[in-house]
Amino acid sequence: MSDRFPALSLATRNLSRQRLRAALAALGIVIGVFAVVTLGLLGNALSVAAQEELGGLGDQVIVSPAEESERETLDSREVAAVQRVADGRGTVVPLQSTGGTVRGTGGQSVAQIYGTDNPQALFGNGSDAVPASHRQGALVGSGLAEDLDLRPGSTITVEGNEYRVVGVLPPVEGISPLQPDSAVVLPPSEFASDDVSQVVVRADSPDDARAVASGVRERLNSRQQRVSVFSLTSVLDQISEFFNLLNGFLLAIAGVSLVVAGVSIFNVMLMTVAERRGEIGVLRAVGIHRKQVLRTLLIEATLLGVVGGAVGALLGTLTVVAVATQTELPLWAVLQPGNVFVPLGAFAFGVLIALVGGLYPAYRAAWEPPVEALRG
Amino acid sequence: MSFEPLQQTAPPLALVDVTKRYESGGGGAVTALSHVDFTVASGEVVAVVGPSGSGKSTMLNILGLLDEPTEGSVELRGDTTAGLTEAERTDARRESLGFVFQDFHLLPTLSAVENVRLPTAFLPGDATDRARELLELVGLGDRLDHTPDELSGGQKQRVAIARALVNEPDVLLADEPTGNLDRDTGTDILEEIRRITDEAGVGVVAVTHDDLVTDYADRTVELVDGVLRDV
Repeated sequence: MSDRFPALSLATRNLSRQRLRAALAALGIVIGVFAVVTLGLLGNALSVAAQEELGGLGDQVIVSPAEESERETLDSREVAAVQRVADGRGTVVPLQSTGGTVRGTGGQSVAQIYGTDNPQALFGNGSDAVPASHRQGALVGSGLAEDLDLRPGSTITVEGNEYRVVGVLPPVEGISPLQPDSAVVLPPSEFASDDVSQVVVRADSPDDARAVASGVRERLNSRQQRVSVFSLTSVLDQISEFFNLLNGFLLAIAGVSLVVAGVSIFNVMLMTVAERRGEIGVLRAVGIHRKQVLRTLLIEATLLGVVGGAVGALLGTLTVVAVATQTELPLWAVLQPGNVFVPLGAFAFGVLIALVGGLYPAYRAAWEPPVEALRG
Repeated sequence: MSFEPLQQTAPPLALVDVTKRYESGGGGAVTALSHVDFTVASGEVVAVVGPSGSGKSTMLNILGLLDEPTEGSVELRGDTTAGLTEAERTDARRESLGFVFQDFHLLPTLSAVENVRLPTAFLPGDATDRARELLELVGLGDRLDHTPDELSGGQKQRVAIARALVNEPDVLLADEPTGNLDRDTGTDILEEIRRITDEAGVGVVAVTHDDLVTDYADRTVELVDGVLRDV
């Protein structure tokens, strides 16, 4: 019996008396915390992974001529307006586009042809192979490069003109309204006219994308529908809302199992204090205060939660990591910093549930008059 | 310092005109103790005898501050304990009284030494040395780390006596201390109690059916239907 923490020492000894019973009560907490941790971590990881997949989409605003306007291109005033709205919120890339036949050593294919002086912003995806300033030669999408057997240094013919391939675009990982995988990117000077068919705004954040989209609509479409503004932020919002709902629902189910575990702790503690009634009476008779008895019993119940919660949180985390390594779910989505709070929170919740489960039995035992407890 | 003589003359524990009534199921009241006056002096062993249901346990519970009288008062060293809060009564029990029960009531998870120092568990300081000394005093110097299930009935009661003495009480209250022991062991225990009272000047009140206890008592009182009288 340690002298510094007599309540803790008494509590651990009492638990060791009925090992199986204590283990089963803790097992309830293990299962509950495990359920919360696995469902919580998986839900978060799925949500984060999905948002990362769709993230490029959410940050992009694509402005193109409205169908009603029956134009193919945006005029310079419109491009300037987009540039003003997006100032400080992201990168504005005017894009020329057309279709055409591309011929390479490995065959020929019909491809989308983009013209931009800043391919890095749109297609770079962080790759060094894509220059920020594009003055000569062609960049080819990874899919097209494979089909036509192209590599940097190869020569391709686009609509009759020869170009050297200066780089291959990295494959697109997320979903994008542009399809650079099967496209060719040329410097704008190679296009017959300077007309821009669309302006892509790579916003700094989904919030910026939202602001740019509404700003452009306000500026250009207030009197008539001149441009169409394509932004998937609202779809993304709905998707993330769905994930939140799903996570909440899963966590609620897991939470119910924890509450059930709390009931079993309640039950075990009631049994324990009923069996130890006489002992508790003796403690009270020899001068141990009610609050000290209460504290001892509460520590006993809480220890079940601490042990069960720790085991459950650990098992749950390991399980989700194992799932991530065996499936498509990326590990980084599981190990993101925000996910630290899931096992910690579940652990704390498990401990709290155990504490609450022990509250009434402990109170009843500690407050029972010692005369009655001793009478047995 | 004028209190000094008074402090010395006041008995460590006394009942003054104590009456205890219980509400019975039928709405009437049962009188367990009726106008009981009782004192125990330091170093004195008093046996309380009487038939079952005569109020012996009630008297011991009231002496032990585990129960409160309906009328009258319990005095600790001349001070009334009426109006003490539950916490104050708990402290008073720990500071002034020792309990020995018929069923020993040792904690099965604790060793002999730990059981003995249990009343001091939540106090600052370590009473391990005193617990060892007391166990040696009651002849269990070689059983210090044994748990109760490794001890015989007589040994358990010795541990219980050591526990009752760990806080240096004024009075030791014993409820059928020999009730669960055979005659020889009971004799040993009573000799132990007698010796300790004489050495430590502790007053002892023993409630008992056992004639053996009265043989070792300085004085025997009898309770019949809640009324106390000398024998």
